[in-house]
Amino acid sequence: MTRRMIGALALAAAVLASAVAASAGSSSPNRQTATKVVIWLQNDAKNGWEEMVTSTNDAFRAKHAGVEVDVQYQGWGDHLTKFDAALAGGTAPDVIEFGNSETSTYMAAKLLQDVTKQKASFPNSKTWLKGLTDSCSYNGKLYCVPYYAGARAVIYRKDQYKAAGVKSTPKSLAQFRAAGLKLMKKYGKQRNYSALYFPGQYWYAGLSFVYDYGGKIAEFKNGKWKGTLNSPQALQGLNQVKSMVKALSRANKTTDEANPQQALVFSKGRVGSMIGNGWEWPYALDEKLGNPSLAKKMGAYPMPSHIAGKYMPTFLGGSDVAVPVTSKNKALAYDWIRIFTSNASMRKLATVGKQIPNSTSLASINAKNPQLAPFTNASRSSWFVPTAPNWVKVEKARVLKSLFQAIITGKQSVKKAATSASNQITKILNEPVK
Amino acid sequence: MSSQSGSEAGFPALTAAAGPHVRRRPFHERTFRALSPYLLLAPAAVVIIAVLGYPLYLLTRLSFEEFGLASLVSKKGTWIGLDNYSQIFHDRQFWTVLFRTVVFTVVNVGLTMVFGTLIALLLAQLGRSMRLLLTTGLVLVWATPVIVAVNIFRWMVDYEFGVLNWTLTELHIGDFLNKDWFADSTTGFAVITAIVVWGAIPFVAITIYAGLSQVPTELVEAAEIDGARRWRIFKDITLPLLLPIFVILTSLSIIWDFQVFNQIWIARGSEPEEDYWLMSVSSFAQAFSLGEYGFGAAIALVMVCVMFLATFVYLRQMIRMGETR
Repeated sequence: MTRRMIGALALAAAVLASAVAASAGSSSPNRQTATKVVIWLQNDAKNGWEEMVTSTNDAFRAKHAGVEVDVQYQGWGDHLTKFDAALAGGTAPDVIEFGNSETSTYMAAKLLQDVTKQKASFPNSKTWLKGLTDSCSYNGKLYCVPYYAGARAVIYRKDQYKAAGVKSTPKSLAQFRAAGLKLMKKYGKQRNYSALYFPGQYWYAGLSFVYDYGGKIAEFKNGKWKGTLNSPQALQGLNQVKSMVKALSRANKTTDEANPQQALVFSKGRVGSMIGNGWEWPYALDEKLGNPSLAKKMGAYPMPSHIAGKYMPTFLGGSDVAVPVTSKNKALAYDWIRIFTSNASMRKLATVGKQIPNSTSLASINAKNPQLAPFTNASRSSWFVPTAPNWVKVEKARVLKSLFQAIITGKQSVKKAATSASNQITKILNEPVK
Repeated sequence: MSSQSGSEAGFPALTAAAGPHVRRRPFHERTFRALSPYLLLAPAAVVIIAVLGYPLYLLTRLSFEEFGLASLVSKKGTWIGLDNYSQIFHDRQFWTVLFRTVVFTVVNVGLTMVFGTLIALLLAQLGRSMRLLLTTGLVLVWATPVIVAVNIFRWMVDYEFGVLNWTLTELHIGDFLNKDWFADSTTGFAVITAIVVWGAIPFVAITIYAGLSQVPTELVEAAEIDGARRWRIFKDITLPLLLPIFVILTSLSIIWDFQVFNQIWIARGSEPEEDYWLMSVSSFAQAFSLGEYGFGAAIALVMVCVMFLATFVYLRQMIRMGETR
């Protein structure tokens, strides 16, 4: 009897404990002092242009004696989930970096501080890149500050291309494929060698094929969104991705380009080319993590289109910095952003980080740099995600990662996977904004 | 002294009740006596209510609300009654996830109990030094934090550098180089099951072994003399004697395996594909990835109810089975 009682009690306690564990998300009290500014930046800055962050902090500290700056680096996979939890717990940062496809939901939910009045006080605000300014604007108001833009191009091993008999960089998708096959012929005996390193969830690169063939993610018609990834053009692009990856890539089919960092995989030598951002080139040469001896063996060119002589559209990525409404140090936060986006900082971003600065007035810094020109050229033909308030939910629900994983692993037929993704996108984008 | 006064000193209440003066005790003292167990329970009860009850209340309230991103800052949800629940029960995905969770639990509990029992029986047969070695191994497994364990398993099954693929290929079982175990959710769940069962075996094995040492040897010897084989002895002597332990262990395992979360979350790099969603993962993903906190809370509560139901029915049945024997 007693034993049973104890058993029953233990069970009841365990069940209760699990209920509480499931509720999770407990709030912790706000212990921020007024003299500490917390900044959330993405790991890209740490990997690519930490100098810019350090110099910003130095300048900020010099101006505001006694104010502490705490920069915390985040990964793209879960930084929004963390941010949401921090908002609920009252420990949200004072400044946060958003990918330019992530801002709409937060602007619509009124979680970002309206900075329309301060706009003129931010450096170069009249010449900000239009694409980034658009990603910071909602209902005619400004909610964030453009930080940088990024375009992807093919980063490749010059020496391997030469050794495999590829005379010049490919000018069409067919040539790209032919070059890749030559590489596979020459180096493919090495297990894990990829002529094109293409992880299964790399949707930024995968959707470029879709846009190249005239497809798109979704359309806005008669006040409603409609997913269009199952259109004939989109299917053509998706089929092209599938066969290209099958022929040229031995990358993991169930991870993305950041896990592991593809630049570091590239630096290990068993990759002929990858589709990457400007900052990934220097990152592959990193003294600790990469391989500096590749410096003279690397090159880049815009990914060619299936139409000879044209470029394949690239995702016009980029980042913005915003101040959450919960920040208690808004004036200090604005000031940090002003220093962070100043001409001096932007110059570091361009020269050290090989990124495209936030203003057209700074474009000349990069024009003559051979490490940047391919990316700047690539950005002339670009695509962007649908500007729907619910777009972030599509990313958070991993719809596109799942789509490419299903196609590349062959788990579902291209048509079936595309139709299911398309229906999901239609459903999510049309949900009422909460 | 101790042997004499043992029964009296050990049960003062009994002595008092049996004594002739019981009716003369004043009223307030009798009330105090009646209330004292509850008074003694009170501090613990207060702590439990504060630590478990209040969050449970908040969770329940949240499950009746529409609570999105904007509510995070305003801290106010909108009361929508049973909408979250009706949405759950009309969602095909929920039933898929529930079914998957049940299958996962049955397989994991089954494997844990079978291997745990086998290892316990082995422990009982081993010599002293080997037993010590095996017990140490079990305790070390038990002491390994989940995060560490999952990452080690991830490395072992890594598609490119994993020792598993290498071994299988070297043994000429097939070409396993570049085999991605997580590409297909069946093989993926096989890996996750291995992690979960591996981590759960020590507790089960050690507990059953402790129970085994209480099985009277004369019973086993008598059965042996009567010509009973190993299996027969286990089925008719060991199992019935250890039934209460098995009931508790199975129930606890059901509770633990029903809410497996960490192993999946970490194994799939904090972004499990929908094919890998169990109820706990689905609840978390809805709430924290998609910002549908009310909906996620409702799933969590449904999960608790299902679990409560499963364990309750199971426990009752097992106890009845025990009584008829």
